[in-house]
Amino acid sequence: MEELILQLKKQIIEALNLEDMTPADIDENAPLFGEGLGLDSIDALELIVLLEKEYGIKLTNPAEGKAIFGSVATIADFVSKNRKK
Amino acid sequence: MIRVIADNIMSPLGLTTGENLQAILRGESQLRVRRGLFGLPEDFCGSVFDRDMVPEIADTQANDGGFSFFERLCIASAAKAVAQSGIDPAAEDVIFVISTTKGNVDAISRDLMAPEAYIGESARRIAGYFGCSNSLVTSNACISGVCAQIAGVRALLGGRFRYAVIVGADVLSRFIVSGFQSFKALSPEPCRPYDAERCGLNLGEAAGTIILERCDDSDADQSTWQFVACSNHNDANHISGPSRTGEGSYRVLRDLLAALPADRLAFVNAHGTATLYNDEMESIALDRAGLAATPVNALKGFYGHTLGAAGIIETILSMHAVDNGIVLPTRGFASQGTSHRLNVSADVRPTDRRAFFKILSGFGGSNAGIAYRKGGDR
Amino acid sequence: MNVTITPEGVKLDRAIVATGSLAEIYRAHIGDYPKFFKMDSLSKLGFLAAEFLLRDIPPEQKENAAVVLFNRSGSLVTDRNYQRTITLNDNYFPSPALFVYTLANIVTGEIAIRHKIYGETAFYILPERDDATIERVVADMLLTSSPTMVVAGWVDWLDENNYIADLKLITN
Repeated sequence: MEELILQLKKQIIEALNLEDMTPADIDENAPLFGEGLGLDSIDALELIVLLEKEYGIKLTNPAEGKAIFGSVATIADFVSKNRKK
Repeated sequence: MIRVIADNIMSPLGLTTGENLQAILRGESQLRVRRGLFGLPEDFCGSVFDRDMVPEIADTQANDGGFSFFERLCIASAAKAVAQSGIDPAAEDVIFVISTTKGNVDAISRDLMAPEAYIGESARRIAGYFGCSNSLVTSNACISGVCAQIAGVRALLGGRFRYAVIVGADVLSRFIVSGFQSFKALSPEPCRPYDAERCGLNLGEAAGTIILERCDDSDADQSTWQFVACSNHNDANHISGPSRTGEGSYRVLRDLLAALPADRLAFVNAHGTATLYNDEMESIALDRAGLAATPVNALKGFYGHTLGAAGIIETILSMHAVDNGIVLPTRGFASQGTSHRLNVSADVRPTDRRAFFKILSGFGGSNAGIAYRKGGDR
Repeated sequence: MNVTITPEGVKLDRAIVATGSLAEIYRAHIGDYPKFFKMDSLSKLGFLAAEFLLRDIPPEQKENAAVVLFNRSGSLVTDRNYQRTITLNDNYFPSPALFVYTLANIVTGEIAIRHKIYGETAFYILPERDDATIERVVADMLLTSSPTMVVAGWVDWLDENNYIADLKLITN
């Protein structure tokens, strides 16, 4: 899980152009949206693409994303249970 | 005074304004589920020209002149309106204003460096077909069709031009449809503006032309449609998400109302894309502007969102509705689904008023509106 | 006031005030707006140019400003980048963050968001740079609109070695 969390942090930084951030700057339990990293609706859509591209997980209903994208830890949990690659 | 002297709509519902109006009054739409179109891996529901109709759309010269489908559509629509108006489009006092979001973008799917993708040059080719050397492109995403009318009005008021030929069009492609799919913005079935069950927009193809003329006030009579006011405001909030307070749209409505009070309006023809957030935002803006009781309609349930054409064809249909003493129906609307209640016209309704607002909102936080009135409006 | 940004650097009324890539200029002169890195190149360019024109203007004067920009290429460089994400069906991952920038007017929205500008934002595409047309369109705007000030000009991105923003702040 540790490894997956680190990998996700790197992928999120890359996919969302979080310039000047390192994995150490992201607390895996902190909220990604609103406060926390201050991500927005386009970032949420881009995270859906990331899950499909890197892990073969297709989210058809963006509303599902709300719970999954709570924090890096919740994403890691979801990925570990649903990944196809 | 700026008046309207000709118009045309070309869509999958018909190749003249009259055919389009009649199709709407019969409740028709060409919104259908499209499987495998443009080689897309996912279905979408859209209103698309039958590509076999293409040769009929423009005359031989345009078909043989190396013009793209997008350009032929613009030429065909403009040609009908130009013929109706009787103007000489090659005269120096004519300007073509082209409204499109993506023009020939599909060309880059064959060659990333395709020169046809430069929209300004595409507009020059379209105007050049008519012998006109003055062209301008408004590229403001979904509000382009109203921005083009505003640009045309200003070009005439500025005194250099007497006629503005305002042409709006977009054609669908793998590029455009996949982008809206990536935004999870599309409804799998015909869209439902302002409805409680709405779940996204449809995309559609169309072209429309309005020709404006600068003339003396004495040239107006009971049948003359004239420009009253226009406005453009940004939400200053987000590049894709509609404002939660409807700020830009509200400011547009406030400007238009200062020129034309609500009691003179037959209706407000709204954007009404049927996405959750757009329609909610518009309900807030209309309510804030004191227009909750004014009839509101949206035409996306007939055409889908026709992008650069939307502001133009929806303005034309609004004028023809008033000419016929009616408010057009909002296809797809059944029960109110916005937090602020609006007076949505679900079905055809009679009206004796002779003025309306056309409003749009879109990506980039942009909002625009234009007001027209017909002679005899008190 | 006039600002130009090219690969040579930033000139304010013809005096060079900054040099380097857009990211270097951002880091040296702005630094407090991480959303900058999410923008496409056209938006970064227009955003930086507007920053030099507007950063010392009080907010109440900016609320009813207008932003009117022109170019030749539209958003074509970003269009190509987006196209690369959809060309093949077996590597088909359309990117929403790229798609949103395939509209040239997004740069005007980015400037409006940064400076809380609620006035007119507009983008026009011309077949080539033509300052007489730009001046005429901006002057004609004032026939139906009364902004407190106007940010207007040319902003076009071709590649890292070939870009220009040439904007004016017009006040009365």
